[in-house]
Amino acid sequence: MAITDLTPGLYMILAAVAVPWIPHHFRQIFMLLAIGLSAFGLSAGEGVHWSIPIMGQELILHQSDRLTLPFGIIFHIAAALNVIYGWHERRSMEHTAGLAYAGAAIAAVHAGDLISLFIWWEVTAVTSVFLLLAVGGDRARNTAMRYLLVQVASGVLLIAGAAFYWRETGSWAFELMQLGSLGTWLIFLAFGIKAAFPFLNGWLQDAYPEASAIGTVMLSAFTTKLAIYALARGFAGTEYLIYIGAAMTVFPVFFAVIENNLRRVLAFSLNNQLGFMTVAIGVGSELAINGAVAHAFAHIIYKALLFMSMGAVLHRVGTTNASALGGLYKSMPYTMVFCVIGAVSISAFPLFSGFVAKALIMSALGYEGLVVIYIILLAASAGVLEHSGIKIPYFTFFGHDGGHTVKEAPFNMLVAMGIAAILCISIGVMPTLYYQLLPYPMAYNPYDASHVIGQMELLVFAMLAFIFLIRCGLYPPEIPSTVLNTDWFYRRLAPIIVRPVISSLLSLAAMLDRIMIKIGTKGINLARIVSSHPVAGPVIPGPAAVVQLALLTLIVAVIYAVFA
Amino acid sequence: MIKQTDTELSLRVFGAWATLILFGLGLVLIALEFIFHRHGETSLEDMPLFPAVFGFLVFVVIVFGGVILRKLIMREEDYYGDH
Repeated sequence: MAITDLTPGLYMILAAVAVPWIPHHFRQIFMLLAIGLSAFGLSAGEGVHWSIPIMGQELILHQSDRLTLPFGIIFHIAAALNVIYGWHERRSMEHTAGLAYAGAAIAAVHAGDLISLFIWWEVTAVTSVFLLLAVGGDRARNTAMRYLLVQVASGVLLIAGAAFYWRETGSWAFELMQLGSLGTWLIFLAFGIKAAFPFLNGWLQDAYPEASAIGTVMLSAFTTKLAIYALARGFAGTEYLIYIGAAMTVFPVFFAVIENNLRRVLAFSLNNQLGFMTVAIGVGSELAINGAVAHAFAHIIYKALLFMSMGAVLHRVGTTNASALGGLYKSMPYTMVFCVIGAVSISAFPLFSGFVAKALIMSALGYEGLVVIYIILLAASAGVLEHSGIKIPYFTFFGHDGGHTVKEAPFNMLVAMGIAAILCISIGVMPTLYYQLLPYPMAYNPYDASHVIGQMELLVFAMLAFIFLIRCGLYPPEIPSTVLNTDWFYRRLAPIIVRPVISSLLSLAAMLDRIMIKIGTKGINLARIVSSHPVAGPVIPGPAAVVQLALLTLIVAVIYAVFA
Repeated sequence: MIKQTDTELSLRVFGAWATLILFGLGLVLIALEFIFHRHGETSLEDMPLFPAVFGFLVFVVIVFGGVILRKLIMREEDYYGDH
């Protein structure tokens, strides 16, 4: 077995076990080496490199093709950036969890069957929850438990779906599926939870902003993009995804306008970006799938960059609430520049990564004649500019003087942000090279005059609208608040409904308990009588046997009554 | 009269410059639209100045949509009692 045959990502998980015992700076170098070794596995080429026969099926632990490659590359880049960004952190918990989490996501991408996928799917959940727990305190623990419940629910649906799918088709290979059977619907729902489909999205905005500065950056890259990969492999061309994705692009935009916590704004923005990818997967043409993958790739970098810049602000100022920030451009000029680069990238300004990625999706929609969806996504693009392009940098670094005089971000944070910013620009100015990474070969030029002028018009006039609203005093002020989201259903509504049900069940259980004790006491008395008057035959082992016999008789009687 | 801090003063200057530059850019783009005869992915987009008008209006609608949404779903900061 060659070194490249082992699943990429597995080295990182194994290395994570040693991380807590390695001294601080050596630990960071060790983690970078582990990521490098894991990335070496990407050079194995297309095909199945490691599989284990089990139960008449193949457990395909390392399969690679043109779809796994771009996700494999970007996940390794994100993992390396996380190590650099978190270099200053001396405690090992987030580093250990982060490395194992990234490794699990990479291993999941290379899973060739639903069972292997399920295993890594769950490992991403279990490892990432420590990124939330690392913050410490009751609030973090509660958030972590809510997050874990949702993630595990996704895993349970996936394994249940895989079981049904196996029974339906006789195979558990992870390949293109047609929605219709119970198995495929369960798998679709499992992917949908992690991809933050509408009404299944609450966990994302609930949990991500609650992690530490470095924890949120780690979280932002993997789980949701793993789901996008899984949808692209399993459900490309599924029409429902077009409408689900379109809804995902629109709704978070309105929430992001009124959300005060800027890291939560970015979590809404992340949801909106996943919508663009979901739409493209739903379209399913070669251009559209290329668009989805290109967008996921570019998005991981610019979203990480934006989360990094807000993490740096959190690290220095102690808050990312827009109502408490402003005027930081003087104190943190480099962070401001990197944040603006992330903002213009996500807003799809020409010469930045978002432009060359989103162009593919929009063209794919145009070619398929999906005009209404096209217009919805165009409107959502203006929304992206609003919350990520303008709101994030404006309220943090400009706006008004928030009165904070702080130091610039630590050097390691600046290095990570600098690398991410260079990648955003490199992708934007060298699209041909970038497009070569995509699953399908294509000749596409995003820089034709019409496209550039059209996009610039949209962005510049939307920015003028912002200036108009600000100058007229019509832009809503930032207010410390909680914006209700779909997590309300399980944080508020469910307890209201479930608490009375649980308390009635508990009273019922207590009543049954009392009845059982009465029966038991009578049984013991009976046993005493029987044992004190021995008869021919086997000796009764004790009073318990009598109680068990009585119970068994009762159970048999009930079963007979029900099924006879 | 409240004294402005240096940062606030420079932010006002920055704001004025940004407004001026964006207005200039807007005018240049309108001119380019007619020089290059821009066309879009859909016929709707081919309408003159469609992206400009669409971008401006949609932005305003999104912000006002947010204002309406705020009335419906905004609660106090400690709504869930975990602050």
